[in-house]
Amino acid sequence: MDLQINDIDPLTMHIDLNSCYAIIEQQANRLIRNKPVGVAAYTSPGGFIIASSYEAKRMGIKLMRIRDAREIYKDIIILPPDPDKYFDAHRRFRTVLERYTSEVTPKSVDEFVVDFKGSRAVQDGLSLVNTGYKIKRDIKESLGEYVTVNIGIGPNRFLAKIAAGMDKPDGMDVITAGDIWNIYGQLDLIDLPGINYRYQARLNLAGIYTPLDFLEAPMFKLKKEVFKSIVGYYWYLRLRGYEVDSARFGTRSFGNDYAVGDKTSDPEQISRLLMKLCEKTGRRLRKHDYQAQGVSLGMGFENGAWWGKSKRSKSLLYSTQDIYLSIMRLFRHIAIPAKVTHINIAVFDVVPASPIQIGLFDGTRLDTRSLARASDKINDRYGEFTVVPANMANMQDVIIKRVPFGSVRDI
Amino acid sequence: MREKINQEVSIVMYYSAKQKKAVPHLLNWQNKDYSLGPVDYYHTYMEGQERQHIFELSDKETTIFFRLRLNSSNLHWTLETIHDGLAD
Repeated sequence: MDLQINDIDPLTMHIDLNSCYAIIEQQANRLIRNKPVGVAAYTSPGGFIIASSYEAKRMGIKLMRIRDAREIYKDIIILPPDPDKYFDAHRRFRTVLERYTSEVTPKSVDEFVVDFKGSRAVQDGLSLVNTGYKIKRDIKESLGEYVTVNIGIGPNRFLAKIAAGMDKPDGMDVITAGDIWNIYGQLDLIDLPGINYRYQARLNLAGIYTPLDFLEAPMFKLKKEVFKSIVGYYWYLRLRGYEVDSARFGTRSFGNDYAVGDKTSDPEQISRLLMKLCEKTGRRLRKHDYQAQGVSLGMGFENGAWWGKSKRSKSLLYSTQDIYLSIMRLFRHIAIPAKVTHINIAVFDVVPASPIQIGLFDGTRLDTRSLARASDKINDRYGEFTVVPANMANMQDVIIKRVPFGSVRDI
Repeated sequence: MREKINQEVSIVMYYSAKQKKAVPHLLNWQNKDYSLGPVDYYHTYMEGQERQHIFELSDKETTIFFRLRLNSSNLHWTLETIHDGLAD
């Protein structure tokens, strides 16, 4: 093996809230504590459980349809998501961690990475394990006595995340350079963060069947044979405890996914849904003061088919109307084969919206930018969707606020 | 079973200067008084420029869960949801 295992002190902490949405619901409602609970986007039998409590997980109820979960345990308590409450929990969680160091990176609503290198806690000689226990107490004080977190400590983010998953729920584990061989020996490839079934198949093709095979694989093999890119080199470093995951990327796109409640193949109905998704995407784009240079549209159908198309725009997209017109140009290319079950729209290649380049039509009837700003002002003041385009009338209960997976930039 | 109510209700609330906390103490709903237990989760959100305060808690006997909303612009209380802790 060319490069040695990184034997620096483990000073990276990965913290995740156990069964986040379900446990926050159990904190809020003591009548459902210690019971199987699922949080689902829709509470009808076809609705999908996006989070389940530990009691439900122990029965084998994880990400699945409600009707399938009820086959396992008919009395499971199903609740709709409450995004504002989860965002509040995220902010409280973050505030607790920032008492210890400013190097706090949210990975999702319920996951944070904390870099303790040079932190006050370390300078004061506090062990990271003691700091971890203190954080657990602080989180209970801030979010409630029922809330628990997993903490993993390691030399890099990758190993800290593995450590956080070793002893669920309410665990705390440390991985040092000396433990790596032993830890990898207990895991399967699919247990490694970032390795999905596709990557596992790719590794298997190269004769790599276990994390230990992965660790022992030479760098050139990972780079040239397995991943065929710099990604292989990153894996070589990551597995040895070197940090390669701390880069922060700027915003490149904004999008909205929607699992259609009342499935339909009616183009008029679909265009109304598209308008609402464009309005939500446009609001987020403008709130972050960006404009976009392209749009994409994806649709899933009841027969299992999927359709997707994207297009760069000749002009910069800013208003909902601009986005909608571009999306509708893509929509006209679809021959709808069955009822639509999923819609995804996105605007991409975003650039800062200010300073603006003065357009030929600014200040005229064709100036959609001022109209967008004026309607945003009204919606900021009186609540979301107070002023909407005409074809979005009577859609208050359609495409409601959902919990984001991954991104926390809107929290 | 979880049930949406969305009715305005009467509330007795107290403020503890020691804890720096304001908590609902007594709820009157459908002509019945409920002594309220500790607030299990409190959060706020904005509806336009109006801040809504959400108190989630149970009665003292822990037989029923209440989700209460206080609209800070008009100080009206709404009982949004109840739950008996059982599946639907």
